[in-house]
Parts: sequence; structure tokens; C-alpha cells
Amino acid sequence: MITMTLPAEIRYVRLASLTAAKVAEIFSASFTAADNADGFCHAFELSVSEAFTNAVRYAVSSDQENMVTINFKGDRNRLTVSVSDSNPPFDPEFPSPDINSYPESGFGLLLIRRLMDTVTYTREDGRNLISMTKQPDNQRFGNL
Amino acid sequence: MIIIEKICHNITVVALQGTLDSCSSSQLHYYSSPSVTEVPLVIDLSNLDFLDSSGLGALVEIARKKREKGSDVKLACMNDKVRKVFEITQAYRLFDIYDDVEAAAVNAGNKKNSL
Amino acid sequence: MKTLVVIREKDYEWLYPVFPGVHPLLVPVCNKPYAEFLIDFAILAGSNAIRFVSDGQLGGLEHYCENGSRWGIEISYASMLGDEDLETVIDKNRRYCSADRILCISGFVFIRYNKQHDYKKLIASLSPGEFISCSHGSLSLLGNTGNIDNSAEKPELSLVGLDSTGVYYRLSVEILKCGSSPYVLPGYSSEADCHIGRNVVMSKSTEIRKPVIIGNNVQLLAGSVVGPDSVIGSNVIIDRESTIIGSIVLDNTYIGENLDLENRIAAGNILIEPESGASLAMEDPHLLTGIKKRGGGGTVFQTFVHLFVAVLLITIMLVPFALLFPILRLQGKWHESSNTYYTSSSGKTLTLTTVAIDRSGPLSALALALSLDRFALLFRVLGGQLAIIGSQPVAATPGSRMVLERMTGYRAGVFSYAEAEEWPVNGGDTAIVELFYAAHGTPLQDVVMTFKAFFNRIHE
Repeated sequence: MITMTLPAEIRYVRLASLTAAKVAEIFSASFTAADNADGFCHAFELSVSEAFTNAVRYAVSSDQENMVTINFKGDRNRLTVSVSDSNPPFDPEFPSPDINSYPESGFGLLLIRRLMDTVTYTREDGRNLISMTKQPDNQRFGNL
Repeated sequence: MIIIEKICHNITVVALQGTLDSCSSSQLHYYSSPSVTEVPLVIDLSNLDFLDSSGLGALVEIARKKREKGSDVKLACMNDKVRKVFEITQAYRLFDIYDDVEAAAVNAGNKKNSL
Repeated sequence: MKTLVVIREKDYEWLYPVFPGVHPLLVPVCNKPYAEFLIDFAILAGSNAIRFVSDGQLGGLEHYCENGSRWGIEISYASMLGDEDLETVIDKNRRYCSADRILCISGFVFIRYNKQHDYKKLIASLSPGEFISCSHGSLSLLGNTGNIDNSAEKPELSLVGLDSTGVYYRLSVEILKCGSSPYVLPGYSSEADCHIGRNVVMSKSTEIRKPVIIGNNVQLLAGSVVGPDSVIGSNVIIDRESTIIGSIVLDNTYIGENLDLENRIAAGNILIEPESGASLAMEDPHLLTGIKKRGGGGTVFQTFVHLFVAVLLITIMLVPFALLFPILRLQGKWHESSNTYYTSSSGKTLTLTTVAIDRSGPLSALALALSLDRFALLFRVLGGQLAIIGSQPVAATPGSRMVLERMTGYRAGVFSYAEAEEWPVNGGDTAIVELFYAAHGTPLQDVVMTFKAFFNRIHE
């Protein structure tokens, strides 16, 4: 288990997403069937970038410093990353905007859901926790 | 992110290099704000390694502003990682996407002349 | 040479409602996804790369075909806008099309070919331009002139525009009948007209009539008759005394007892009359009677049985839980999270607190073996909100609601039938097992299955 805690500031977003990509790369290297390691790493890079951006975007300014915690956990054959922040709760079912209206934001959760196998949102001890799991060389059925 | 501007077939080509995410998207925003004119634009993505939804938002913003002025923006040479973001969000429905910068510039030029 | 495939969404979008959940370009023609026929033809024509271009979503296709290494061909994907002509599309792919020759397949068409013929020679002998077309699309060549030879023999080649379930059905049957001599069809075949996949379980009284193609992981139960002229996909159960004649059964379909399918397409629980395109949701009579039985006296008995098993398990787990829970919690290995799940196919939801225990150390191993992570859920059985055994709870999201609507008989359980049967607890197969037991289960069998699931988790 690797834990990384960063201030909720936008300049740390790349550090978070690159770390996620690297962790995913090292994790997937231990699998023989790592044909789609690129896709696997990119899924983590992008999902963490989105989750971290959301954590920063909705951060409430207070005297206390806002910290975002990123947690990596490797299971036997899957990797879970969770991102937690102390912001007010949000609606995980937030619908994606219609692309034809030229939306400039709102696609973060859609991307995460489509890139990861399972995504859970929970509220724990006054913190938002979004937990994202993916298995390398995942053969899912009937995926549109 | 590094932004390089060049001219190809009389069309401004903006080459983006590196990462376009929530941190660097403001860079593109400040860059593009003054350049919102009627002239068409080609954005060369060949050296863009990473794009997230905030970065996509910045590109969508440029497209919207250009279209409002009756002009257009064309994208060229996106890699698989960048294309994935366009695929999932269906943003490909908003853009002319080329696999060659020159072809994009020539077409942008043709459109400009026909206006 | 390279191949460029240009298919517009408006030409294939009619397939979305017909076969929900499958990308239209992956709908199997006979027993193989449509796109694979294009790939085969591109290879046969001498291509070393193929690019799919569409104005619709290609994610599903890309997920399946990936980079094409499976076929030894480089596959890429590109977008276009819906109202563009072919010339513009080619221009948008100028770099790709800079190879000496490009075979361009345009439109949602099926290419009839015969792998015995030499299409490389044919392509080489043609001059650039369109060389075959139908009302729905065309094949054309771009690039420089080859060694034009008008005297070269013209091998079999024609196009079929795919625009209705009728055309789709007739084409599948046609391919089935001509078998694997013109096309490359997956599956093992020791005799002509009969392909059978891996892990096919047949009852002694099952009857197979040629020609027929059967996929992988298929169960044909007692008294079922399959064929002639039928295609059975993968992960299919044909239940007792059912007859499949001249029909196509797609992947992940459960055909209930005493059903006669003749000249139909079955996909999930949707039954299609190919010529008219009319479709109906299969309300399997057996599945319905099974549920109705529970609606009467069966429910009370079943509820009682489930209550009894839940109380029994609570008693067994109580002491280990009281001992292990505080320790694991202190060690930080006990993680609780809450999420909303569907509890029945009618869409009733329930917020459950699920527990994950880190797999490290003897204490967590013991806790997992005793299924202590399910302890709290057992009390939901007492409250009548969960079944002791049923389907794995489906998280409530707008997307899963659609899946749920097709799962007649779904009932969320503390344990799942898939766990009892040691089926992988994800993927399309699970739903089949769970629905099968939902239809065939009896309260007493539920008890056996619950303990089977419980003991299976010990071995894990």
C-alpha cells in the first residue's frame, strides 16, 4: 500500500497523475499478459488526474490546509487507487453534459467510470472517498 | 506544456507539447483568448502526451469561440491516449480531426477562401 | 497495401436497439463478429493495416479488436463527421493513405468472398477507382495504377448492404450453409456443417441436426433439439425440451424450458422475427411460473428457510466476529463502505454497507474464510430486504438499471449462486448461472447452495 498526501492545489495534479501512471506500470509489469499495459497505465493516469482535479476544484478555503490523499493498493490481480478529500459531499450520479452544447467541464466522472472496472464513492469520517479499481488485461463483455 | 506557433499554407498552426490538464489548460486559455479572430486555426497534437477533461474543455472552448465568429478550428495528429478522451466524451463530434497537419492546414485554408 | 473502412453511424444505428449491449460492428454474422469478416478480407486482399473510420463511437470495437496483433494486422481508428463525403474522409486520413495503394471499403456492407481465391492478384490487376458497388456501399482503390490486366480472372466478390434484421438473418444462414470453405469460422469441426466450441455440455437425449454451429460454454439440456440451420453463440443454456430450428441464438442467452424457436433470432431475452423485424421480450413461462410459485405459499416457506439459515450463520459467526472485528478494525484492515444496490429486478434500492478485509496476515485470512465480511448483511435477511442466496448485488447506477431490466428473477443475496458454483464472479456468464438458479431453485436447494458458497469461500 502506497499513500501520498498532497495539498489541494492545482499545481500538484501532474505529480499525482504521473505517480499513478508509474505505479500502474510497475504493478502491471508483474503480469505476463501485459499487452494492454499502456491502456492500463493511461486509465490510472487519467482517472487520478480527473479525481484530483475535482478534489481541488471543489475545495473550500478555510484556515486549515486542505489535503488530498491518494492511496494505492495492489490486490492479487487488480490495482485500486482511492482519492480522498475533505470537501463537502458531491453527487456521484452527476449526469454527463451533452457534448453538442460545447460544455467546458463535467466529463471527469464519465471518464473515470468508463476507464475503470469498478468505481465506488463513499463518505467516510467527513471525507469524500472515490475508489477506483481495474484489472490488467481485462476482458469485459459487451462493452459499448 | 509548451505552445509553439507556426504558419503552414498561410494558416496558423499551434503545436501543443507535453501535458494538457487542469494545471496547463489555463495556459491555453490565456494563449487563445487574444487570438479569437475570424481566421481558422489548426491545433497540432502530435507532441501532446496527455489530455484530460479539463484540457478537452479548453479545446472545446476554442472551438466554440471560433464557430461563434464563423470560423473553425481543426485538430491534427492525436495519439491513442488523446483519442481515447475524445472517444469517451464523444468530443469527436465537434471537431474536424486530421491525421496530417498539412492536410488540415490546406483544408482550413480552402474553407477560409470560400467564406 | 492498406485498407480504409468508412462506415457511417446512420447506416448501422438500427442495430443498437435490436442487439442492446453489443457494438453494431461486433454483431455476429453467423458466429463471428461482423468486423472480423472485414479484417479477414483485408488480409486476404494483401493489407498489412486497416483503419476503421466512423462518426459514431468506436470504443466497443476498439476494446475488442485492440491493435490487431491477434490477426497480425495493424488496426487503427479515426473519427469523421456524419455529413462528410468519402473524399473528405480520405483527406482527413491523408498520412495513413499515403501508402502506394489503399483499398477503401465504404458503407455498412458485407463482402461475400471465398478464401480459396487470390484477391491479391485481383487487386493488383485493377486500376484506381470504384470496382464494385451496391446501393449501400462500395469497394474502391486509391493510389497509383497497378499492372492493369483486364484478362485476369475475376474471383467471387459481391456486396450485401446490411440494413435490416431480415438481411442479417438470411446472411447468417447463408454463411452457415456454405460453411468454412469460403470464410474463416471459429470453432472445431470434425465433420462438415457441424462446428462445436469448447466446453459444450450435452445431455444424452439432446439431438443435433446439421448444419449447426455451437459456441463455447454451452449447455444443451435433456430433450433439447438444435438445428438444422441454427447458430448457437457462447455462454448459452438451452433448457429442457426446447427446440431451436433455423434460428440464431446470440451470446449470453438463456432459452427456457419447452420453447420452440423456428426462424427466429434470440438475443438475451429478446426474440426477433427476422423478416418483419418485430421483436418481443421473452417472458420465459418457466421463469414466470418459478416466480409465481414463490408468490404463493412458496414465499412464506422460502422466507422462513432464508431466515433460518441467516440465524444459523449469525450464531456461527457471532463469536469469531466479536473477537476478530475489533482487532482487524484496529489494525486498519477492516474497511467499510456504503453504496446503493438494487435488491430486485423491479428496481427497488437499498443502501448497504459492504466490508472489504485486507488479505494479509492469519487473522484476516480467518475472517475471510468465515465470511465475516458478510456478517452485517445477514441481518438484512432478517429484515427481509436481502435473500440469503441470490444474485450478486448490482450497484445502482443509471447504466446498471438497463442491465437489470433484462435480468428477470434477479434478487440480491448475501451470497450469490455464482459463488456456490465457483463461477467467476464477474462477466456475462455469472448472470446466466444466477438466472438459471433463480428459475430452478427451491428453498431447500437454496440452503445447500448457501452452504456451498460459504464453504467455497473458506477454500479461497
